[in-house]
Amino acid sequence: MKMKVVVIALLIVIVIVVTITQLYEFLNNKTIRVSTTTSLYATGLLERLAEEFRKQHPNIVIQFIAVGSGAALELASKGDVDMVFVHAPSLEQKFINEEVLVEGHIIAYNYFVIVGPKDDPAKIRDLSNPIEAFKRIYQAGEEGRAFFISRGDNSGTHIRELAIWRKTGLNPKGLEWYIESGTGMSKTLLIANEKEAYTLSDIGTFLKLKNEDRLGELELLISGSKELMNIYSAYIVNPRKYNTNYDLAKLFLEFVISDKGQEVIGKYGKEEFGQSLFYPAKGKEDELKVYWKKLTEY
Amino acid sequence: MYNEVYEITLRSLYISSFATALALTWSIPISIKIATMKSDIRDAIISMFNALFALPTVLVGLLLYMLLSRSGPLGSLGLLYTPQAIIIGQAVLITPLLVSLMYEIFIKALSDYWELAMSLGATKGQAYMLIVREVLNDLLSSSLIGFGRAIGELGVALTIGGNIKGYTRVLTTAIALEVEKGEFEVAMILGGLLFVVILSIVLSVRVIRGRFK
Amino acid sequence: MIELRNVWFSYVDNRYVLKDINISFERGVTVIMGPNGSGKTTLLKVASCIYRPTKGEVIIDNTPYWRLSEQRRLEYRRKIVYLHEKPILLKGRVEENIAYGLTIRGYDKREASKKVHEIARYLNIVNLLNKRASDLSIGEKQLVALARALVIDPEYLFLDEPLSHLHMSKRERIIELIRSMKNKIVVIVTHDIFLTLTIANKVVVLDEGRIIQIGNPQHILKKKIIK
Repeated sequence: MKMKVVVIALLIVIVIVVTITQLYEFLNNKTIRVSTTTSLYATGLLERLAEEFRKQHPNIVIQFIAVGSGAALELASKGDVDMVFVHAPSLEQKFINEEVLVEGHIIAYNYFVIVGPKDDPAKIRDLSNPIEAFKRIYQAGEEGRAFFISRGDNSGTHIRELAIWRKTGLNPKGLEWYIESGTGMSKTLLIANEKEAYTLSDIGTFLKLKNEDRLGELELLISGSKELMNIYSAYIVNPRKYNTNYDLAKLFLEFVISDKGQEVIGKYGKEEFGQSLFYPAKGKEDELKVYWKKLTEY
Repeated sequence: MYNEVYEITLRSLYISSFATALALTWSIPISIKIATMKSDIRDAIISMFNALFALPTVLVGLLLYMLLSRSGPLGSLGLLYTPQAIIIGQAVLITPLLVSLMYEIFIKALSDYWELAMSLGATKGQAYMLIVREVLNDLLSSSLIGFGRAIGELGVALTIGGNIKGYTRVLTTAIALEVEKGEFEVAMILGGLLFVVILSIVLSVRVIRGRFK
Repeated sequence: MIELRNVWFSYVDNRYVLKDINISFERGVTVIMGPNGSGKTTLLKVASCIYRPTKGEVIIDNTPYWRLSEQRRLEYRRKIVYLHEKPILLKGRVEENIAYGLTIRGYDKREASKKVHEIARYLNIVNLLNKRASDLSIGEKQLVALARALVIDPEYLFLDEPLSHLHMSKRERIIELIRSMKNKIVVIVTHDIFLTLTIANKVVVLDEGRIIQIGNPQHILKKKIIK
């Protein structure tokens, strides 16, 4: 009988202690909550930026929640995060229109890449235009010579892929050679490797897996064209909708677009892969804004 | 990397044990109540619990997210993306499982031990205590199963915890992230760790039970 | 005295297991007999205040039990012991099992232990005291259950087939013991004719939930045998 009372008392004490520490943490540490995409988070760039930021602001904690692009923006619209880092202009425009996102800045860019089997059955290697390339892949697919793996998950990559298909005027959905993996970039690339198929990927994930010798059958076939441009933007969530942390978010955003922040971005990946994974936006903001606008129509 | 693994493991243990303890506080009374019900009502309720148990964890996570989101009814509690949210979420998640396991234990216990206690002059409170004491072993087994489900689930921890590094990242969400990143070996190692952790807990409880058998 | 007035009992909705029972149990030993399914065990459970009658009253010492507050009911419950046909023991050692009734009444460990040893000596089961309840044979379990009931020294004793698993040699001891309790109210359900003849003051015969005969043991049994 006594044991039971003691145990219950102990549990209550623990609950109280935990609640108090939580409260203490809450009051003392300033926290910025940022939602972002899994692919961007997985590169490690964001934690690196946060690390640098903390050197100047040691008592600010940045929490990253990595989900899909769609989900990241949904979280913003629900007021559950203070900032968003995404790369899906058409979705971003929608949320800007709804006044969920304010004060956005383009922070970096890189290019999606079309990768495919070494022997390139659709013969796209010499092309520079991804739209043309997709057309050829479609044809090769219909003739049974090629497969295409789509992420099918509403991620930034998937949205871009769909946009390119739209520009070709062709719709591969439901066709035998068009496979929707419904999963992340790594798994999608590995599936493409297995099936010796074509796919659209971000440069970071591709380089990483290629470096680890896990994509023996795949090669980078097309990159660098503006239709493949991947523009990363950071937004602050509208503080008037929900009680989000505008001031702290602004501090972090300012850091990311500062010289120091842009330097971190520009150098990121050089050590590991021999080439940077991102190009800093600094100096090219106007150009990028134009492309960004174009991309919202994709 | 290794301190992160250590921290993640501790966090998984802490969160899921609290979740199990929390779930027990309401699951035991619910199970007792169900055990005392008439059989037709009881069957209906049990069927409901069985169905709830089959819900995918992501769905449960989503429902809880809607509750705890700032735009949701309980948003002002500020629980979203905290370890406490995961504790509550997992507790809710494993409740149907616990109830399904425990009510049968209580049906038997209530018929045998309640009568026994009363027949020897116990108060209602003493009768309940006796029942709990006698079924403790079986309850412990059920709790372990509940704990296993809590510590091994992904959907709830991910959706309402956010997998935030250093704060709400647990073994399962860390594994999911590594798989996303294509780091399959790391994921397998973490998975193996998860298994070892659960195994150790199950074994130690057996040892403790052995002492009191 | 325990009296049942116009008692009807059903477990489930309209199937009555006890029908219009009117009986009083007084000092001495009353045996309840009857075919299987006639409601003997239920009658015992209702008379010992474990089950509440669906209709009718249970009156102890001129007080209607079920109309009392829980606290007052407890006072009466503490004077009554009901022994199940199937001996159910608690987890742990035999000594703790036998002491249960004392423990819940607030006896301290030493006092309880003394009494437990006393009854164990009387029933010749001292050698079992330190054994685990789960390790006993069914006959041993029955003795332990009996000890558990007797150690409380209740005023009212309701026993359901108390000797069914016991060895011949043990039975005599128990019968002696029950016989010595003629100042208490003892009600026993049994098929054992020998037991009935030896110690019963009164026999009640039940059939399909109704009392069909009450009387003197020899009288009743002669009738049965002749039948």
